[in-house]
Amino acid sequence: MAKKQLITKVWIEEGCIVCDACETAAPEVFEVMDDTCVIRPDALNAEFTKPRSEGIVDAAEECPVDVIKFDSDTVEVADEAPTEPAAAPATETQTAPSPAKKAPAAEPKKAAPQKAPASVGKTKAPSAGEPDPSIQALLEAATSRGGNAGIMRNSTEVPTSAQGWRATDVDNLPPDARQAKVVEAAQKAKKQSALHRRDFVSNSAVAIGWTAFGVGTGISIGPAFGRFMMPNVLEEPDPRIRVGKITRYMEMAPGDVNEDYKPQGIWMIRDEDRIAALNIICTHLGCIPNWQPNDRKFKCPCHGSGYYSDGINFEGPTPRPLERFKITIKDGIVIVDKSKKYQYELGQWDQPGSYILV
Amino acid sequence: MDSILAASSTLDSVKHFINVACEPHWFLIISVLAFFIFLIGYRTWTKPIVAGTVSALATLFFLASCADTNFAKIVTKADNVPIVIMMVTVSFLLWLAFRQAAINDERMEKGEPLIEAGADDKVLVWPDLVYSELIALVLCTALLIVWAIILRAPLEQPADPNVAPNPAKAPWYFLGLQEMLVYFDPWLAGVVFPGLIIVGLLAIPYIDKNPRGNGYYTFKERKFAITTFLFGFVILWVVLIIFGTFLRGPNWNFFGPYEFWDPHRPAALLNTEFHDLFWVNTLGRPLPGHYLIRELPGIVLLGAYFMLGPVIMKWLFFRKISRDIGFIRYSVLCVLILFMLLMPIKMVLRWTLNLHYIVGITEWFLNV
Ligand code: SF4
Ligand code: FES
Repeated sequence: MAKKQLITKVWIEEGCIVCDACETAAPEVFEVMDDTCVIRPDALNAEFTKPRSEGIVDAAEECPVDVIKFDSDTVEVADEAPTEPAAAPATETQTAPSPAKKAPAAEPKKAAPQKAPASVGKTKAPSAGEPDPSIQALLEAATSRGGNAGIMRNSTEVPTSAQGWRATDVDNLPPDARQAKVVEAAQKAKKQSALHRRDFVSNSAVAIGWTAFGVGTGISIGPAFGRFMMPNVLEEPDPRIRVGKITRYMEMAPGDVNEDYKPQGIWMIRDEDRIAALNIICTHLGCIPNWQPNDRKFKCPCHGSGYYSDGINFEGPTPRPLERFKITIKDGIVIVDKSKKYQYELGQWDQPGSYILV
Repeated sequence: MDSILAASSTLDSVKHFINVACEPHWFLIISVLAFFIFLIGYRTWTKPIVAGTVSALATLFFLASCADTNFAKIVTKADNVPIVIMMVTVSFLLWLAFRQAAINDERMEKGEPLIEAGADDKVLVWPDLVYSELIALVLCTALLIVWAIILRAPLEQPADPNVAPNPAKAPWYFLGLQEMLVYFDPWLAGVVFPGLIIVGLLAIPYIDKNPRGNGYYTFKERKFAITTFLFGFVILWVVLIIFGTFLRGPNWNFFGPYEFWDPHRPAALLNTEFHDLFWVNTLGRPLPGHYLIRELPGIVLLGAYFMLGPVIMKWLFFRKISRDIGFIRYSVLCVLILFMLLMPIKMVLRWTLNLHYIVGITEWFLNV
């Protein structure tokens, strides 16, 4: 036979330091407010606290300033099977929390009020039709607050714990939750914050000092760090690409496109009176359009932008024409410099270097 | 012989009709109409017998269509099978939700308890939940194995930075985004709109504090909220994915479901600009030189859309809502709705007028 504590009443004495430990241990019972901690109105009921005895005892143990107090009944339970509660539960008031038995929180009295009463000496696995009292107690505990959905189904109003708290008669609240105490605690807190103001000045001096130090260090070693993040050797192919003799481009008719250097990222095109090198990257989002000789247009497969053979956009979402590369002749050989680009919308297509006159 | 010919020509005209109905503007109009017809008559449409007939007809139509090679090729492509499944699941889940909403709404009218009224919807984790999860896990694994064996993941040629497949499609869940990019500049369609979608979804609980519908199905009590959300989800996301998967072909052109994906099909999509429409076509003048004056009509139009939109919406149908939720919430709500509606508006303008930009300050990359 083991002894079990069933909490019938729980309250909080003065001195709470608002550490949140109790609400973490037993959220249905404790509510930590801004400057004190109160017992939730539901938990003023012995039937509510009994199934939660374990959590309450845990909370009381965890409270760093030991202000959580409770009354409890002690019942005898068989080690394996729950029995009827002892005939006369001993009522005692605890002034210091005592370690609780970690037995399953079974409350036989409440266990199955409507259904079969728990019988003495029942085995661990209850047979079908006779609900396991410990599970029943848990279920009831879970449903006794109704659950969010349950509440809303039946009414249009949503009761919040705050409303419930307000509705409760002040005299029924545990002593510490009375408004006076809260006000007192609040005033104390205010006084303290006034005291802290002096600290604030010295603290901000320290903060400013450290910030200045941080900024100074950042400025002095930041660039070195940035350089460190860069590769020491950058292997980039020569942006200048030789695209063959000028004569082959002289032969093109206006509107022709030469795709031989597409793998190098260049379309050689013949405009009315000039030869130019187009960048093959779509100016919309960077796909590679296809040259469609039948329609005489570049058409992008990603969102359908279309460009005329000279690179001007005319359909689809792209905002601007294709870009042109710098182009020069050396010893009859055409050289395209991919590092220099000319954009139409900035009026750069007329700049020397963006074309070769035929 | 004659009858066969006649039958095939009727079949062809039916296919042609469906191809035309799948042109984007018709498709959008039809789906919006279908959406609202469904919502208005949701109690009838969700009746098991009606819904069953509709889905049987749809399945029949789908199977018959698979006799067409072009159609079969698109829907059985390994990449596209999930989208076919998605269409089925989305419809089924919509039906399920609306069916329960219809039952609940009817019960509410009669003053009967709702479906969810008995609190016995609680189940034990062990064994009930864990068992169902185990079964689901086994079924999913089996399904995925069979799927992986039957439908091979498509392998293409090695990637080449200089060649993009035609059409180049994003993964299916991004096809809605890719479709948006067709109508708006990348900074809008790729940054602002996705950001607004996320921010807007986050804002819902702050704008809408109505507790009705929490924990139980209903449509009657939340008509506006459900309609707005579903419009954004079904029309502006799922329909765009369907566009991207089944109707977008080579060169990102629209193709009907029975049409051959011809990369050389001519398409006349010459862009028009709003400033041209205003200054040249309507006023018959040359374009003003300065871009601000040039774009003034578009700027005024957009400004009016966002400034007058909330006022007009308030007159038309938001009188009660705007009073209930207050000025700030109402403004946020309106801005979100107006941005959402900008999408179909611009889409339709592009399809009908080939409108490129309403405001097109290409000099600053400020194009809408
Ligand atoms: S554990 Fe104690 S001190 Fe901490 S909040 Fe609870 S009652 Fe207050
Ligand atoms: S990337 Fe070419 S159209 Fe979008």
